[in-house]
Amino acid sequence: MTLAIVLLALLASVWLLAVTEGWTTTGRLRPAAPLLSGLAHLGRESIVPRTPDRVFFETAPVLFLIVAVLGAAVLPLAPTLVIADLATGALFINAALAYVLVAVIMAGWGPNGAYAMIGGWRFLGQLIAYAMLIVMPITAVAMRAESLVTTVIVGSQGSLWNIVYQPLGFMLFFIAAMALAFRAPFDLPIAAGELGGGVDAEYTGVRLAVLRLARLTLVVTLASAITVFYLGGWHGPLLPPWAWSLIKTLAVAVSMLLVGRYLPRIREADLMRWCWTLGIPLALLNIIVVGVLVLVVP
Amino acid sequence: MTSAPVMTDTGARRRQKRFAVLQKWISRALARSLSCLIVPGPEVALAHGLDVTAAGLRITGTPRDAGVLLIVGDLPEKMTEAAAVLYAQMPRPRAILVLGGQIPSSLPDADAVADLSQEALTEATERLRRALAESAFAASTEDFDAAVLNARIEYVCPMHPEVVQDEPGSCPKCGMDLVARDAGDDSGAGDMIPEHGHDHEHHHDHEHHHGGAPGHSEHDHSGHDHAGHDNGGNEHSGHDHDAMGFMSMVEVTRDLPRSADGLAMDWIEVPFGPVFPGLPGGLKLTLTLDGDGVTEGRARTLVGMANGDDGNGQLKAETFVERLASATPLAPVSYRLLACLAIERAAGVEDDPATARARAGALERERIASHLGWLAQSGRQLGFAWLTDRASTLQLGIQNASQEKLIELEPALQALANRLGRTPLLKARLKGTGVLPAGSSGLRGPVAVAADEAGDAWARLWQRLAESTASLDVIKSTGELGLPALRNIGHASGIGEATVETPRGLAQLNLKLEHGRVKSYKLDTACSHHIGLVAELVEGRELGDALVAVGSLDLSPWEVLS
Repeated sequence: MTLAIVLLALLASVWLLAVTEGWTTTGRLRPAAPLLSGLAHLGRESIVPRTPDRVFFETAPVLFLIVAVLGAAVLPLAPTLVIADLATGALFINAALAYVLVAVIMAGWGPNGAYAMIGGWRFLGQLIAYAMLIVMPITAVAMRAESLVTTVIVGSQGSLWNIVYQPLGFMLFFIAAMALAFRAPFDLPIAAGELGGGVDAEYTGVRLAVLRLARLTLVVTLASAITVFYLGGWHGPLLPPWAWSLIKTLAVAVSMLLVGRYLPRIREADLMRWCWTLGIPLALLNIIVVGVLVLVVP
Repeated sequence: MTSAPVMTDTGARRRQKRFAVLQKWISRALARSLSCLIVPGPEVALAHGLDVTAAGLRITGTPRDAGVLLIVGDLPEKMTEAAAVLYAQMPRPRAILVLGGQIPSSLPDADAVADLSQEALTEATERLRRALAESAFAASTEDFDAAVLNARIEYVCPMHPEVVQDEPGSCPKCGMDLVARDAGDDSGAGDMIPEHGHDHEHHHDHEHHHGGAPGHSEHDHSGHDHAGHDNGGNEHSGHDHDAMGFMSMVEVTRDLPRSADGLAMDWIEVPFGPVFPGLPGGLKLTLTLDGDGVTEGRARTLVGMANGDDGNGQLKAETFVERLASATPLAPVSYRLLACLAIERAAGVEDDPATARARAGALERERIASHLGWLAQSGRQLGFAWLTDRASTLQLGIQNASQEKLIELEPALQALANRLGRTPLLKARLKGTGVLPAGSSGLRGPVAVAADEAGDAWARLWQRLAESTASLDVIKSTGELGLPALRNIGHASGIGEATVETPRGLAQLNLKLEHGRVKSYKLDTACSHHIGLVAELVEGRELGDALVAVGSLDLSPWEVLS
């Protein structure tokens, strides 16, 4: 039952997100557009490139989707509405997200084409740059909650949300989440103006539909993670807990989609440099500050 | 279409059986979500005053994502070949929409033909929708086969390049399996987008490519097999040694070119264009990549102008003016003016101050529109969607605007400039990118002025914005704007010379007039010089920086003389 509800919530969020995305790019609000576009993908030819690595090519979109859903499995919508309330939930998210990289590399390698492959390797090149900024802020969050259980983490923010308690961690995690989901302006692996679609370039038809669905699901999962870790999860007045979770998640997801529209793509070297020289020291500082706060403030 | 096992049965056909009930719905959905790939490019559609998005078509940059091939205007020969390759890469069901031009012979019949106007485009899109909704699956399953797609495959020995034959086999000298490669085709169209491949149209199975060197799938993966006819493929064939036994890494990489860091890497030659998002359509940029660093690059045009006599010698003066204007879709007013001026001077027609002012106004209006078009193009390249939307809207508003209307648009231009100054990441992206080497010669227009400043992409951006403001000031003083039209020259003869500062820099035309006909002419344009800068700008740069550098030159491949 929980599984069905969470999956339904995930799907609904993805749909709303797709509608919003279409609204901002075309200026028209078309609620049926995502469904139509999904159907249209089913009708299109699903081209297999010449001499592909067939296993990688076929697996990548599916793996991507699975990873995004897996991540959502440990994120609570309400105190009891979570698929798996693991004792190591916060760590599990990390482990699941690590496979995004694997999926992207496979999608880059599989089609046997230059643009896709450069896109895949680019993503790998950034691995530690953004992955550290996912792990280190989560560490600070877990320190405050004194637990890795996601429901406990939300519970720890009852009096004060983490976005206020550790704003630095929130900013770093938000940026790293966008880089991980390769949303613009961090869309280096799929950059149209640089790689003509990159890792997406060779996918058509139903495979492309899965790939697009997976990317949107990943955005929702990451937005949900931000909600759980920093925005107090289900906490909020009047509305039922699950509604607050959904509202916050959607707000974060939409902001992740919108911000790229108003910014040029970041230079690959800059992203790497800023993550290493600025992001990681700041994340360490965040851990220290939170550590001191946890010890000093009762 | 028989030998490629994966593609013999189209996805559409298979689904026809599987989802018989869904078919109607899928067809309708297909018709409702149309995306188009514009050939030569979105910047040409904009320059013709077309708002493709408003007509209900989503613009995409890659053939794999496109359902409609939108051809705008007449395409030069080489571009029609490129269009055929792009069409072959599009997933079925696919359609062709031709606006105001000849239907290229290399393509199947167009599904819709219309004039070059917004209303015609909207109407044709609707027709296309209806046709797709009714017959998406029936009509689309015909095979498309064009001569340009059929690359001849030959087989060579990796060890002995002199051993070449038409059938697979083993080398008579060393017994190794022969490796397939595309036989000497350098027409430019065939290797356009290698990994988009001419796959499903190919009559040859390339599987044995991998079979030849089982230990080296990595090298095969880097795209050589797609571009096997370039020298890269031949140079690297050396790897295949170790199919015969162990070779150390040092030996394997011995003959490979060295990167800047001294490591021997696999280099791949990747084409960008002639239709690539963010680059002007018709420009074919070929970059040799070492990882994502560019070791070498060259640019050439597939849509360039002929210089001097184009065979049939004598053209009526009016025809000459029209020809020149239509050959340069990104700056037609400038070149129309250039032709008019040169012919009138050759005929000895006196300059008329009122006409000159009206023409100057039209020229400046085109300059603003052209710079906005470049901004929209940069937005596409940089993934800066807001900029593309805003600049396109302004460009469409300015193109045919009267003087009063233009002056009203001044605050909007100013706001755009202010916004760009405040946009985070933009300066980091452009500053220091595409710095012209000291002492570059042949610079003209905004590129030349910006070279006196920092000489980078950031300086060029601001130079173009400054020019737009200056152009508006000129327009304020010119009065009514008038498109250049050739004045009556009768049957005059003579020699004339004219120069016009086009949006991309100075263009010069010398021509000889005989009895009202243009006998011979010589043209010199800014882009012909600027295209030579590409090699130096991209060398040693990261791929993204290299492409931004090329984009910042605002090359118009139409204005490159071939």
